[in-house]
Amino acid sequence: MNLLELRDLRKLFPVRDALGRHRGAVRAVDGVSLSVAQGEVLAIVGESGCGKSTLGRLALRMIEPDAGEVRFGGEDLRALSPAALRARRRDMQLIFQDPFASLDPRMTVEAAIAEPLRLHGVVPRGQESAKVAEWLERVGLRADHARRWPHEFSGGQRQRIAIARALASGPKLVIGDEPVSALDVSIQAQVVNLLQDLIRDLGLTFVLISHDLAVVRHIADRVAVMYLGRIVELGETEQVFSRPRHPYTRALLAAVPGQGAKAPPLAGDVPSPMAPPSGCRFHTRCGHAVAMCREVDPVLPSEAHAAACHLAAELPPAIAPHETETGGERLRRLQAFFTQGTAA
Amino acid sequence: MSGSDAPSAEGRAQGTEPLNRPRQVPPESPFRRALRQFFRHPLPVFGLVVVTAFVLAAVFAPLLAPFDPLQTSWTLVRKAPSAAHWFGTDENGRDVLARVIYGARASLMAGVVAVSLAAMIGVPLGLLAGLSGGWAETIIGRVADAMLAVPFLILAIALAAFLGPALENAMLAIAITASPVFVRLSRGMALEAKSTDWAEAARAMGNPPWRLALVHVLPNIIPPLMVQATLSIAEAIIAEASLSFLGLGQQPPNPSWGSMLNSAQRFLTQAPWMAIYPGVAIFLVVLAFNLVGDGLRDALDPRSQRR
Repeated sequence: MNLLELRDLRKLFPVRDALGRHRGAVRAVDGVSLSVAQGEVLAIVGESGCGKSTLGRLALRMIEPDAGEVRFGGEDLRALSPAALRARRRDMQLIFQDPFASLDPRMTVEAAIAEPLRLHGVVPRGQESAKVAEWLERVGLRADHARRWPHEFSGGQRQRIAIARALASGPKLVIGDEPVSALDVSIQAQVVNLLQDLIRDLGLTFVLISHDLAVVRHIADRVAVMYLGRIVELGETEQVFSRPRHPYTRALLAAVPGQGAKAPPLAGDVPSPMAPPSGCRFHTRCGHAVAMCREVDPVLPSEAHAAACHLAAELPPAIAPHETETGGERLRRLQAFFTQGTAA
Repeated sequence: MSGSDAPSAEGRAQGTEPLNRPRQVPPESPFRRALRQFFRHPLPVFGLVVVTAFVLAAVFAPLLAPFDPLQTSWTLVRKAPSAAHWFGTDENGRDVLARVIYGARASLMAGVVAVSLAAMIGVPLGLLAGLSGGWAETIIGRVADAMLAVPFLILAIALAAFLGPALENAMLAIAITASPVFVRLSRGMALEAKSTDWAEAARAMGNPPWRLALVHVLPNIIPPLMVQATLSIAEAIIAEASLSFLGLGQQPPNPSWGSMLNSAQRFLTQAPWMAIYPGVAIFLVVLAFNLVGDGLRDALDPRSQRR
């Protein structure tokens, strides 16, 4: 069963000049349909500015879509009253990128983690402390950290606190918006492992928004690749990584540093999302583009492993340069380093 | 690797993590940290001492004042400072020291009450404007800007004259005049806070708007509001003195520094002590509040924080 269903979501951000005149609109999310199954880990990847964070916010109705449908557990989130939506937030949570910004600086750790417990009446009044202690230990901190303030912790520890806060109300769906990208590389592997453990133990449905392909490959079941507000490729993680079908996905995978064979790197910059190219949005940077690509907008077929590309069937099989598992390698090295560090 | 042994590894990796320090370091709230900062600098502490002295004088005026401030005497008209009357006497033979001490009541009261009122009017409106956006923000913002365009004292005088001469009315006039500053300050900071990740996290958690405003945003904007309040008290004291000088504040015969200056101006050459002492009192208390305000600003500004 699908816990989250997005249908043809669209979000425009109007752009105004200094005098407040309308200068067009950034099409942050431009017709995205996506289903996330119960218990699934879905990754949304893409370059910065492709609309993946906006999509995450839309899925939680943190921002209002201009068009489209958001169904959470079969219920239309857009039809809920503000109060009903707030109550529903118990079941869907968000983890932020920057743990230095996402914790209220004037709240102790205990107050921060107890807040969702109180708001949603998760535990009887007066019993929040025990639950907070439980959560702190669950995310790898100590129970006596509860009395401390966010500024007393390192980035990795803060992110653990933010994770505990997000999970405290017992959500079914968690969206992680680049949950490890702001952390030191040496900390990333630990937090990724923590997330993975929690997802498994709690049976969470998790949407990981990330540009870090190593992390994505490590924990995601399925991957959606976004380019300029659209999903261009969608499929099982292993399928997408080993047999990428969309030229953009291939280029993205090839850009992972430190491998031998390389697909041709991407030329040029991402076109302005205020004026996306006609036809296939990727044709301006695609080495395979033909006349049709400039005129006809490809759709994402509803296959298990789909690519929104006219030539997907005709393109030569990917050289799959990343088959060396560069990304996985990096994570494994990090993990080895830390296992050693702990043992020492 | 399990999650539970991670912090030790993490601490090691970063070398000098705060948590690697000895455990006896107690958790320190942002407020206590600011307090510690404040007491590191001599000038704000001096300001605080002076403010405290004036507050004590106002509270314990009946015990401290050597004479009744209303007691007139035809034999003691405009006597220069002496052993009996340290600050001299005024045109009705009343003791200037006693009147300065009792005058502190009117000034400090006016300052504190007016600014508290101003904050109580301004901060909720500012929060509403900053957090709700839309028409509420437009209306509140425009009215506050319009009021700020009128010079502070002129507006206060106009309002006080409209309300009628009395200390209470002067305080109300000052409060209304001082409130737009609080509207603008809290609106700006609420706007800033609204766009932070922690505010978004609070919304994502299911906080209703009033709880976001009171539990999350308000505590985060209190420090700059405290600074503004302290500086506003200094302004309000000057305003009260000015209104009393014009006869719009404290009514005779009750003492107020402003009205004392008013009666002293006719005798500036013959009895300068009548003007000097209340003048010095105004100067000192305003300076002290400003020093405290500046000290608070330095202590609460995260950019100036050095441990």
